[in-house]
Amino acid sequence: MTALFALAPLVLLLVGGLLIMLVDAFAKERVEVSALVSTLLGASFVVAAGSLLADPNPSGLPAEITRYLAVDATGYFTDVVLTVAALIATLAAGSYLREHELERPEIYLLLLLSTFGAMVLARAADLIVLFIGLETMSLAVYGMIAMRRNNARSIEAATKYFLLGSFAAAIFLFGAALLYGATGGTSIAAIRDAIRGGHAEPALVMLGLVFTLAGFAFKVAAAPFHGWAPDAYEGAMIPVTGFMSVVVKAAAFASLLRVFTGVFGDPLLMHPTTGWPTLVAALALLSMLVGNLGALGQKNIKRILAFSGIAHAGYVLVGFASLHAVPEDATAAILYYFLAYAGGTGLALASLVAFGSKGLEAVDVDDLVGLGKRHPLLALPMAIAMLSLLGIPPTAGFFAKLFLFQAAAQAGGIFAWLALAGVALSVVSGFYYLRIVVALYASEPAEGAVVARPMRSGYVLLAMVFGSALVVKLGVMPGLYLDLALEAGRGLFH
Amino acid sequence: MEFGIGAYAVLATTIFGIGALGFVVRRNFLVQLMSVELMLNAVNLLFIAFNRIYVEQHGGQSFAFVVIAVAAAEAALGLAIAIAYHRIHRSVETDLADRLRH
Amino acid sequence: MFSAYLPLFLMVAVAIVVALVLWSAATFLGPKNPTPEKLTPYESGADSTGTQGVRPSVKFYVAAILFVIFDVEAVFLYPWASVFRELGWLGLAEMLTFLVVLGVTLAYAWKKGALEWVK
Repeated sequence: MTALFALAPLVLLLVGGLLIMLVDAFAKERVEVSALVSTLLGASFVVAAGSLLADPNPSGLPAEITRYLAVDATGYFTDVVLTVAALIATLAAGSYLREHELERPEIYLLLLLSTFGAMVLARAADLIVLFIGLETMSLAVYGMIAMRRNNARSIEAATKYFLLGSFAAAIFLFGAALLYGATGGTSIAAIRDAIRGGHAEPALVMLGLVFTLAGFAFKVAAAPFHGWAPDAYEGAMIPVTGFMSVVVKAAAFASLLRVFTGVFGDPLLMHPTTGWPTLVAALALLSMLVGNLGALGQKNIKRILAFSGIAHAGYVLVGFASLHAVPEDATAAILYYFLAYAGGTGLALASLVAFGSKGLEAVDVDDLVGLGKRHPLLALPMAIAMLSLLGIPPTAGFFAKLFLFQAAAQAGGIFAWLALAGVALSVVSGFYYLRIVVALYASEPAEGAVVARPMRSGYVLLAMVFGSALVVKLGVMPGLYLDLALEAGRGLFH
Repeated sequence: MEFGIGAYAVLATTIFGIGALGFVVRRNFLVQLMSVELMLNAVNLLFIAFNRIYVEQHGGQSFAFVVIAVAAAEAALGLAIAIAYHRIHRSVETDLADRLRH
Repeated sequence: MFSAYLPLFLMVAVAIVVALVLWSAATFLGPKNPTPEKLTPYESGADSTGTQGVRPSVKFYVAAILFVIFDVEAVFLYPWASVFRELGWLGLAEMLTFLVVLGVTLAYAWKKGALEWVK
């Protein structure tokens, strides 16, 4: 029973999700599924945040649970990140689907179940559970993209994402099988102990590491496994883009954190020159390059955010590469970054929903021209989001990048150079983030041009207020949240 | 003549490679889906073969069970997307998917 | 190793030989007197119409997929049943939870009309 309470954020979503399914199927009248799902996500968020503050590391739980699902501060922290992102996406979807007459209750259910899968993935302490969480999350996302089934772009995005996603899952599984063969364990702890004890065949472990890393790199859209991201993001509906860009990425990164500090936390494997940090550093550099340079030539905002997501995956990987030198600081920086990225990207896509209305969806940078002059207050959250993603104080993004690059600088050597490259490429990212701000506030639409007309809807406004508050609060008092992240990260090292 | 675990590992890796090659080379939705299934089954074979080393537990066999179940769900969703794709393109050749990026 | 399978190979060989002998005997010994009437697919039935490549309805897909999913999920009952005494009440509770989730999804599919043939 105590175990059920300790896992309340997950249990709430699962039980609530099943009940909503039944209500939706059996109710005589139409049910407001969007409201039900957002309430449930909000409740889960409150419970997760409460547990994080009150009792982040519950003890005395049965081994039958903790062997498979980690119940620790890191888990509650990722729960908070994932529910925040899912809540913003659900509220945005509530407005978007109604405005564009695409309302279908299944989307909200898929969103809920996908969030549940993401939380399981982020907490998985066993590779079997990890795989189940990964697939629960991914399959629901494929379904959400394909939901607009008469739209050729949506189906094309779903096709590409589905095929490459299941290919990546198979690659990951092959790595898991090699690790099992080398160590005889499926749980992270068992594999770690076998590797530390020197019982594992090093060649199999190395191959397993490479294959699992490739599988994860695909899910977080790190270069060179990023090819699907711009197309999938562009083809999906805006709220779905918001959901997948944050929830999928954060959950996969959280799981990568557990696997790489757990399974591959061995000092030999973590050696800065001969171990995986070099490999991860290469991925980080490539992702920052591809993301930031790729975004420069884009006109579509969803594609810009896709490339921006690739770049941000690169920044987070800089933190992963420094884990060997400053494990606690780097972990805290990574966790803090999740929250900042979730706020920034979620807010940007919620704003994009709010800027459009029926028949006039805002998708290109040109659609936003002059919007900030006509609706100064409504356009403000988008500007805040862009400044945060760019990393201008006093927003969440500034401290997020600061903590990450600080950790990398402390690691020294090539990692300090990596941090420098990250700073330089962040300056490059100013070109495309600020282009959006300039379009909003400092340009006039051409004579006779079709301009986006914002929709009037309460749901998305709520999402924007919530997201703005998060981004600004993280930027004004970063210390409070960094302490939480430090506390949350400590659970991973014992 | 007895086949060792190494032989099974080689066989599974070969099947996995064939699946991966098929996925990369072919441009037909259904063939690509089948290639992924082939890869998943190769992984299952690997898990079960490796389980022979660790006879005191069943981690590998349980993993294979879960993979089978998840692969079924994945195939169900994949075929649904294939039907939607076919409705639009009247074909399942994935080369036709070039509307994005233009 | 191969010697253990020798009876199996022998049986396959015998089966092939028997089939070949019977088939060729019928071809060579039987009387042949083809008429146009005899060459139709059904000698005394109605003439078939339409093309041979009829597309099966997409409804088969829904039924087949639902079957595959629930079929594979049911497989989990077998390993559970074989160790059900050792797992005790916890195992029973877990399996019941699993079945409840499965039941809810089945009810959902049913109520949403996925099991109806004609809509």
